Amino acid sequence: MKEGSKFLKSKMFALLVLLLLIVVFFTIASKGTFFSLVNARNILNAIVIVALLTVGAGALMISGQIDLSTGASGTMCGILMAILLVNGWPWPVAVVVALAAGGFVGAINALLINELHFQGFIATMAMASVTQGLSYALGGAASIPVDNKVVVYMGTGRIADVVPVSIIAALLIFFVYGIMLNKTKFGRSIYLVGGNPAAASLVGIDPKRISYILFINSGVLGSLAGCLFAARLKSATTTGIVSSQFAGMTAAILGGVSFGGGSGGMFGAFVGLLILNSFSNGMTLIKISPYWQTFASGALLLFALALDFSGAKKKN
Amino acid sequence: MDTYLEFRGIGKSFPGVQALDDISFTVSGGRVCAILGENGAGKSTLLKILSGDIQPGAGGVYINGAEQRFTSPYQAIRSGISVIYQERQLIPAMNVMENIFLGDIPAGRAGFVDRAELRGRTQEIIDSFGLPIHPLELVGRLPVAYQQMVEIMKAYRRNSKIIAFDEPTASLTDSEISILFELIGKLRNDGKIVLYVSHRLSEIFQITDEIVVLKDGRFVKTLETRETDEQELITAMVGRDIGDTYSGLKRNDRYGETLLEVSHLETAAVHDISFELKSGEILGLSGLVGAGRTEVVRAIFGADAIISGEIKLEGKPVHFKKPGDAIAAGIALCPEDRKEQGLVLLRSIRDNITAPVLDKVRKGLFLDKKAEDEVAGDAIKKYSIKTPSSDKPVLELSGGNQQKVILGRWTSSKMVTKVLILDEPTKGIDVGTKAEVYRIVCDFARDGIGVIFISSELTEVINVADRIIVMRNGRITGEVRREEASEESVLALAMSE
Repeated sequence: MKEGSKFLKSKMFALLVLLLLIVVFFTIASKGTFFSLVNARNILNAIVIVALLTVGAGALMISGQIDLSTGASGTMCGILMAILLVNGWPWPVAVVVALAAGGFVGAINALLINELHFQGFIATMAMASVTQGLSYALGGAASIPVDNKVVVYMGTGRIADVVPVSIIAALLIFFVYGIMLNKTKFGRSIYLVGGNPAAASLVGIDPKRISYILFINSGVLGSLAGCLFAARLKSATTTGIVSSQFAGMTAAILGGVSFGGGSGGMFGAFVGLLILNSFSNGMTLIKISPYWQTFASGALLLFALALDFSGAKKKN
Repeated sequence: MDTYLEFRGIGKSFPGVQALDDISFTVSGGRVCAILGENGAGKSTLLKILSGDIQPGAGGVYINGAEQRFTSPYQAIRSGISVIYQERQLIPAMNVMENIFLGDIPAGRAGFVDRAELRGRTQEIIDSFGLPIHPLELVGRLPVAYQQMVEIMKAYRRNSKIIAFDEPTASLTDSEISILFELIGKLRNDGKIVLYVSHRLSEIFQITDEIVVLKDGRFVKTLETRETDEQELITAMVGRDIGDTYSGLKRNDRYGETLLEVSHLETAAVHDISFELKSGEILGLSGLVGAGRTEVVRAIFGADAIISGEIKLEGKPVHFKKPGDAIAAGIALCPEDRKEQGLVLLRSIRDNITAPVLDKVRKGLFLDKKAEDEVAGDAIKKYSIKTPSSDKPVLELSGGNQQKVILGRWTSSKMVTKVLILDEPTKGIDVGTKAEVYRIVCDFARDGIGVIFISSELTEVINVADRIIVMRNGRITGEVRREEASEESVLALAMSE
């Protein structure tokens, strides 16, 4: 009973209500088109790329850090994979090299922050620019075709002709990271470091180690997103997933991951992502200009932050 | 008539602590008045009230008989009060003249800064103090002592009638101190009221005219500097007799083997530290704030780098590179600042208690919530932590209960704590919970744990610890056993030159 009433007051409940309102509103406004299996699949399909960025950014933000470079470095990795494939490298090697490159960028981020004590915001912003520049240098103006069958299947294939493979992969990643954060020693350590790094270090947790692991993780997930995106378009371009960078962070924050670290979780981030994408999908269905969709996602984020703010004020 | 400053019936309480209680005294112009007292006597709180940082709960500050009500430091400055803190309130990236005229930079009609005017007036002030400082020098590049001079000139420029110094010599060399004293002499000759907070008795005898002694937030007495001596001052600071919180403690009288041996420990902050701790012993570490007590235990715990020296645990040399190594070997540290270093406030009581033993409350890859709840539940029961459940965020607990969460963390059934280090465990908690903490500490000792007990409260440390090591300026200055310890003897070691 008491647990129940606590849930009713929680932010998660407010978010679920918001999601429900969005679903009901657009179902009515679109005369039923919104609430269909096909459209649900469209929504899920659209979140796959951003989902990977959300997971990486979410885990980092819970630990109290930020990575602004994943969009750009993921794009670079997609181009790298495409170039290796064009040059006849076998697909497993090309994919692994691309993922490793993402991890390498993450490791550099962690190095700049932990060893040289650069501010995370600035260090990763610089790395975003560096990797973006490398994308131009590697890729040039033209797009690079990706026609390897296996790689393309990862991006566009469907199991039994119905369920896209990449959706399964994205959901699985959300689930695995959710369990990791909630149930394992490593996950708990992330929350403790995010909540208070000095205290965490005095109970024997190594904040530096966690920072390295999470930055490398965020780089690898960014690379995976970049490669999947290229696979979907059957070509790699220098624009790639750069614009998804902020969508990933927005979803995590919308879902209750605190910017200062120490709280939030993968379920919330997933709900945040659903809200964001249901909203833009619904707006497309009722034929509102895409320009207003960007505006609306910003407004949604402000709304979620206002929820946080009123909650924090009550506590004081 | 000369200016005079009066504190009339000042009281101030913070949650659980009466910081100041009915403080009344008067200082007149042309006098340098020392404010003296142990840590926690209320000196800083009094200065903060004077500077408008905080407002008194009772009573008031009067200048020339007129009551002053400050709701911000800005108003206090406007009323002619300047408080010069240890942390300087200067802008390092600006030059000397801009800092001296901070908040009141001369400007022409259009609002542009009149640099010639600014420089001329600054030079006048510098000359009147006879200092070798250039008006265009960046403050951040000046030596610490000269930065302090800039602060004093800033106060002088504001035409402050009252200038208060908080531990001004803490970071100065001897020759810099003599420059400072000359300046203070000039301020006195100009008829200013100078308040001087310091722990250094020799300085107080050198430059003050009178001494106000505070103890536990109360006014004890005012002494004429010429008519008193060190002995009388220390007695006045130690003051009243001790309550019987301590007489009921069930102490441990049987020590075991030597647990911890520290020899010639040297770090960036402390020098040549050697001592031993036996199983079942409570070793007090005393000294004034900044004496290096915290730095000693952080080095032992593997949190700060060691330059040289040796640490032995149960006879075996140990080298802890990080706190995790020390914890695995059975050393636990409850840090000085609960909120900054001890607890993860957003997280639950359970998460905070099981943090160092996560390896022992998991089944395979996953944490075992039931085992965690058991560990947390034990601590909640053992220390009667007031909470409906172990899910409650630590943020929502009182200071005393927060401290108990930390104690529970290090003494759970899953921990094998041999040496427990408590750094200021009773800071900011109420008297009742303090007594509970003392009882718990004695229980630890009877269980054979070796306890290092750091405290700035003299009464507390000489009544709880079996033996007290006193530190000053990063070195050990002496050691006393409880039977022969008095607040006077410990204070004398802590302040000795």
